[in-house]
Amino acid sequence: MASVVSLPVGELRKSDGKPIMLRDVLGWSVDHKVIGVQYALIALFFFIIGGSLAMLIRWELLTPALDLMANGAAYNTLFSIHGTVMIFLWVIPMSAAFGNYVVPLQLGAKDMAFPWLNAFAFWLIPPAGVLMLMGWFVGPAEAGWTSYPPLSTMFSPDGQTLWAISIHLLGLSSILGAINFIVTIANMRPEGMGWFQMPLFCWAILATSIIIVMATPFLAGGLTLLILDRVAGTAFFNPAEGGDVLLWQNVFWFYSHPAVYIMVLPAFGILSDVLSVHARKPIFGYRMIALSSIAIAVVGFTVWAHHMFTALAPQFRIPFMITSMIIAVPTGIKVFSWLGTIWGGKIRWTSAMLFGLGFLSMFVIGGISGVMLGSVPFDLHVHDTYFVVSHLHFVLYGGSVFGLYAGIYHWYPKVTGRMLDERMGKWHFALTYIGFFFTFFPMHMAGLAGMPRRIAVYAPEFQTWNVVISIASFVLGVSTFVLLYNMVWALRNGKVAGPNPWRALTLEWATSSPPPATNFVGDPVPFKDPYGYGTKEAAAYVEAVEARYGTPDDVAQSSKPAPAETAGD
Amino acid sequence: MSEVSIQHTDVSVSQAAARAKAKALRVSNYKFAMWLYLASEVVIFGTLIAAYAVFRYNNPEVVHEVHKEAGVLLVAINTFLLLMSSWCMVMGLRDIQMGNRQGLIRWIAATAVLGTVFIALQAVEYSVLSAAGVLMTPGAEFHAFAAHFYPPTFFHGLHVFVGVLWAVIWVIIPAMRGSYGPGDYLGVEFFGLYWHFVDVVWIVLFTVIYLW
Repeated sequence: MASVVSLPVGELRKSDGKPIMLRDVLGWSVDHKVIGVQYALIALFFFIIGGSLAMLIRWELLTPALDLMANGAAYNTLFSIHGTVMIFLWVIPMSAAFGNYVVPLQLGAKDMAFPWLNAFAFWLIPPAGVLMLMGWFVGPAEAGWTSYPPLSTMFSPDGQTLWAISIHLLGLSSILGAINFIVTIANMRPEGMGWFQMPLFCWAILATSIIIVMATPFLAGGLTLLILDRVAGTAFFNPAEGGDVLLWQNVFWFYSHPAVYIMVLPAFGILSDVLSVHARKPIFGYRMIALSSIAIAVVGFTVWAHHMFTALAPQFRIPFMITSMIIAVPTGIKVFSWLGTIWGGKIRWTSAMLFGLGFLSMFVIGGISGVMLGSVPFDLHVHDTYFVVSHLHFVLYGGSVFGLYAGIYHWYPKVTGRMLDERMGKWHFALTYIGFFFTFFPMHMAGLAGMPRRIAVYAPEFQTWNVVISIASFVLGVSTFVLLYNMVWALRNGKVAGPNPWRALTLEWATSSPPPATNFVGDPVPFKDPYGYGTKEAAAYVEAVEARYGTPDDVAQSSKPAPAETAGD
Repeated sequence: MSEVSIQHTDVSVSQAAARAKAKALRVSNYKFAMWLYLASEVVIFGTLIAAYAVFRYNNPEVVHEVHKEAGVLLVAINTFLLLMSSWCMVMGLRDIQMGNRQGLIRWIAATAVLGTVFIALQAVEYSVLSAAGVLMTPGAEFHAFAAHFYPPTFFHGLHVFVGVLWAVIWVIIPAMRGSYGPGDYLGVEFFGLYWHFVDVVWIVLFTVIYLW
């Protein structure tokens, strides 16, 4: 029976999956679904902490004088820990949350390749988070998330050492997790799913994991040297004793530029899934999107010195400028493919889709300012100004975080069996979108006007922009709580989702919500094309599902739960 | 209904097939993960070696002086011993592939002993160098060299130490209790991959630090 390629197992059975309870999350578990939720919860916790620090930064910057913080050093700790927490304890763990929960399901697998290792990798995060925050008891790191020496070696208090140990643990955690993902994706695809029948989210996680395995050890090496310099009297970064300050910058950015893609590629993957599902159209340029992820992973290793244009020997500037321009190409391929995907689609304006489109619009702005910064003459002028801060937040918040939000709205029903409230979702989107834009877009202007980053006291002529930025940022901060409230509220009061509320074709929807302990009853059979909306098989499948449950909009809007299983098998 | 009975007979066959398949998958998972782990190790050693190389490039005369002071004979012997330990490792793997468990135990024990001797000689070398003024304490004659020399070599020594523990805990003791056989030597292979890696890294360190 060649034509029957899909076995929507979950549609035929009652939900026998137990929702993940608080006690599961607090204890040791090797179930990838529990671990995924654990990652998400700890990431959201640190998102609030990092966000609170950002609010303090914006409060301080309402006026040109130093008024909220006691001194400049106290202000330095704010942005240092804000940056580090947001990157290493929010965006990366949250991406790992989706990877852990979704990848094995999309592959029709029962779990990851190494469940124990998976749990171990997760449990490195809480102690790392504690170490990071413990800095406040000994004087926290003050050298920014980039921690350039000699700031980080000679001027930062002991919290900098804790910072370095914390990042070390987080790096180890990501390496172990990434090894697990690569092996899982390479070896555990089900029969009938070749490399190019794999959902694009899995491709994105694969590319991310390759970068993690090859780049994170550089950070580990660099951090080891930094810790030795701080506690063991070595002088790797001290030119007075034969060291080299630029060594840190090279090692750090050789990790941290690829790490930019560690942060954004998972969101790219989420976006590919979300746009295709909610626009009811096959993904445009599947192979190009898949391979451009790998291209980004490879080219990402050749661009690191564009972070050092002002420190770099002049003859190296142009080569790094060229590679930096080149890496915009695979990203551009993705953007055009996504536009091709939604073009002429039957777009459903769900919250997930809104955040997907929000990602597209804001990320493109960040991408363009990235190309601007990639050109040497421009960069030399705006280096270390708010222009850079703006660029970073457009790609990291407007890109990664919007993508993660889209993922939350898209997969929350699978994890909990309940839909998030769409009305609150739209409020969340509206507040976030407006708050985000007016927080970060004016930073371009402040930066072009010459306002330097990482200062608490600034020239009075920048105050107008800063007041606009701060007020918008408070809106942005509040908007997050709409999501958090929604997530808690929907646990009890959300509409029952049923196995496949979005009528998606990838395998995570071919089981009940939440899935049973072994994920699937029997071996699920994947569609030949995971995005084949409009193919005969997909149409037959969707028709059968809709005949039983009504159209997704009915599911989303009717207050009664989806009809229970009646006929049996 | 006849289909059901046919399936029933098939089930036992397919169950055995499924078990074999699951085992093959597990083996290939572990091997792949081991290679990925080694890849990440290459990178972390690469960083340490790069840090040394930068120092060597900026301060050739200091390095020459230390080389003149310390000589290379002791380390050359040590390098030879480590290479021999890799050979022992291969012989052990070969023995277990041919079903000779006693041979495996003897050869891997020899590997572990050579590894231990390597660490001991490294300690001797450290004390010789310390006496010559290669000290981590600021103000020592060759402090800058020490700061770039001890971390990578110590980090490598740590890997040898872990390797010796690995040999004893996961190869020798299980083998003495009757594990491993001609069709079941994956654990030995993993240890071998790790040990060869540690060996290769040493060759690079030896070349860069002692011969350059």
